[in-house]
Amino acid sequence: MTEFLKKLMLTHGVTSDEGRVTKIIEDEIRPYVDEISYDALGNLIALKKSKSADAKKMMLCAHADEIGFITMFIQDDGLIRIAPVGGIDFVAYSYCTVISSKGVKGVIAPEEGTKPEELKADKFFIDIGAKSKKEAEKKVALGDMFTVIPHMTKLSGSRYCGRPFDNRAGCAVMVEIAKGLRDCVNDVYFVFSSMEEVGLRGAKAATYNVNPDYGIAFDVTDVGDVPGCKPMAVKLGDGAAIKIKDSSVLCDIKLVSSLADIAKEHKIKHQFEILRAGGTDTAVMQTEAGGARVGCISIPTRYIHTQNETIDMKDMAECVKLGTLACNIRL
Amino acid sequence: MNFKLLEKLSIAFGPSGCEDEVADIIKNEVGHFADEIITDTLGNFIVKINGKREQKMMLSAHMDEVGFMVRKTDDLGCIYFHTVGSISEGALCARRVTLKGNDGIKYKGVIDSKAIHSQTAKERKEYIPTDKMHINIGASSKDEVDHLISLGDFGVFDSDFVKFGNGFIKGKALDDRVGCAVMCEIIKKIREEKITPEYTLYFAFTTREEVGRSGAITATEAVKPDFALILECTAVADIPETPAHKTVSKLGDGVALSLMDHSTVYRREVIEKMMALAKNKGVKYQIKTLVSGGNDAGHIHKTAGGVRCATLSVPSRYIHSDCSVIHEDDYNSMLDFAYNASLSKELI
Repeated sequence: MTEFLKKLMLTHGVTSDEGRVTKIIEDEIRPYVDEISYDALGNLIALKKSKSADAKKMMLCAHADEIGFITMFIQDDGLIRIAPVGGIDFVAYSYCTVISSKGVKGVIAPEEGTKPEELKADKFFIDIGAKSKKEAEKKVALGDMFTVIPHMTKLSGSRYCGRPFDNRAGCAVMVEIAKGLRDCVNDVYFVFSSMEEVGLRGAKAATYNVNPDYGIAFDVTDVGDVPGCKPMAVKLGDGAAIKIKDSSVLCDIKLVSSLADIAKEHKIKHQFEILRAGGTDTAVMQTEAGGARVGCISIPTRYIHTQNETIDMKDMAECVKLGTLACNIRL
Repeated sequence: MNFKLLEKLSIAFGPSGCEDEVADIIKNEVGHFADEIITDTLGNFIVKINGKREQKMMLSAHMDEVGFMVRKTDDLGCIYFHTVGSISEGALCARRVTLKGNDGIKYKGVIDSKAIHSQTAKERKEYIPTDKMHINIGASSKDEVDHLISLGDFGVFDSDFVKFGNGFIKGKALDDRVGCAVMCEIIKKIREEKITPEYTLYFAFTTREEVGRSGAITATEAVKPDFALILECTAVADIPETPAHKTVSKLGDGVALSLMDHSTVYRREVIEKMMALAKNKGVKYQIKTLVSGGNDAGHIHKTAGGVRCATLSVPSRYIHSDCSVIHEDDYNSMLDFAYNASLSKELI
């Protein structure tokens, strides 16, 4: 799983431009599913059919997009003005090296003299080294997406830092589930959704198209085990986090209990998650197309939305085990 | 461009939730050209034109405008109000308005507040809050005003439609009557030139955009389009003391194609198809160079299983005020772009 995750991490896929990421997933998952399709918003939907006569629809969903910057204006001096795509912490991203979807590298910097509290999008520009607008326009077009240069770097033990674990980690878990899933009582729809980072937009359309009975999202979640953090029970390395709530959703209580029961029965290392701030595709799966029973299996992650998000591969493995068994949930 | 039509639409009374008057004008203009008319409980008015293929392209413009709602009358005959949609407090004071009162009768009024003579030094430096402004329709007691107006009644700015300078146009509600006018012109043109479009076209004149876009949601559910082109009016800041990268677009430089706004990140493949179409047909346009505002695309693109969307906007200075200003060339460029899009074979 680590190698495939790394491949996903190093693939450019900012919100609305997820095609490269979903293509890699499509190629990897194809042998393990029965049908593959894309919808109008770029959601990749892969179906593994059940042999059961009364199969219900289980939708697993991980978003394929990542946060980044969109090129909005090229100045006469060749510097590029950008807008954030998704929740960008500009303090974390000051003076990072960035790369466009076409491979053009640059530095993202704030205007000189910007006070810390003024570190907002309109103060920032990207310097690709171009000396003029004309030179810049040969490399970058309006609308081109940039991200901070991706990487995946091994730390002590089974931990890695890098980006964007949010949410290629969730995608990798789902692909691993697809590979290991045998006969299942439910039709399982593996949805790799678009445009999550700007408001769960892709998953809303995908849910309408799938119309599931049950939905389980796979996404990263915050942790409460670093200095100065808000009170939160989730710890890195303590296993798959079963979401109870985040700021977008209260998960279905039966589905949450069911996930917990499975984890206990199969000795899967797990913990419970109550996330104060942050939303996931879980929310739109719950309300779209008449509603579904939903839950979310989260991958504990430190420093989310920075260039050094940090995860533990052992948690990932627990998420795969729990997710695979969860495909058979019937409520 | 058809000035008469835009004028008629601009001066029409149609705040969010009360768009019937606008819908009637549109019905009279183009209703008879429709292969089918679809209406719904939210007041959307949709003109269907059959194409060669079953694939559906929806063009969409909202009929509603920002306005006012009566929230209280007082003993002096003053009317307290809420704004319907977002209006800067700076654009309210001392403006002329029209209220539609009991039995649908319209009353002229003005928005008043404390004169500068009576304001404290602090008050002079700040916008007067909406709570401290009232509409005066010439009534001098509660009895008198309550006889004419009821709580919940709607109002809009009262503003003439004026052409001035070299191609400039001033009026109220140009957001988004320009989109409505352009769609009417396209429908007429298609019928007069006896063209059968490639795709089946739905011209959706939507309601309630300024208060959360519920009209666009039901219109999209009704049509389930394969592609949607939203025709809008967008804010522009090509005015003094604005840095180049914050001007959004320029009046007179053509209709603005959106890359991203606060409600939608437009899919690259769609933008590229739109750009190719413009290049192919020699259409003048510009790119909207700041993420600002939102429009019906925000709901259309994620409704009914997802819709590929593009937005074209006529840039407007002083938008959401009684004197929005647009340029004739930009209107014509939107007409040109949207007309070519409606007849294209490559967008779906």
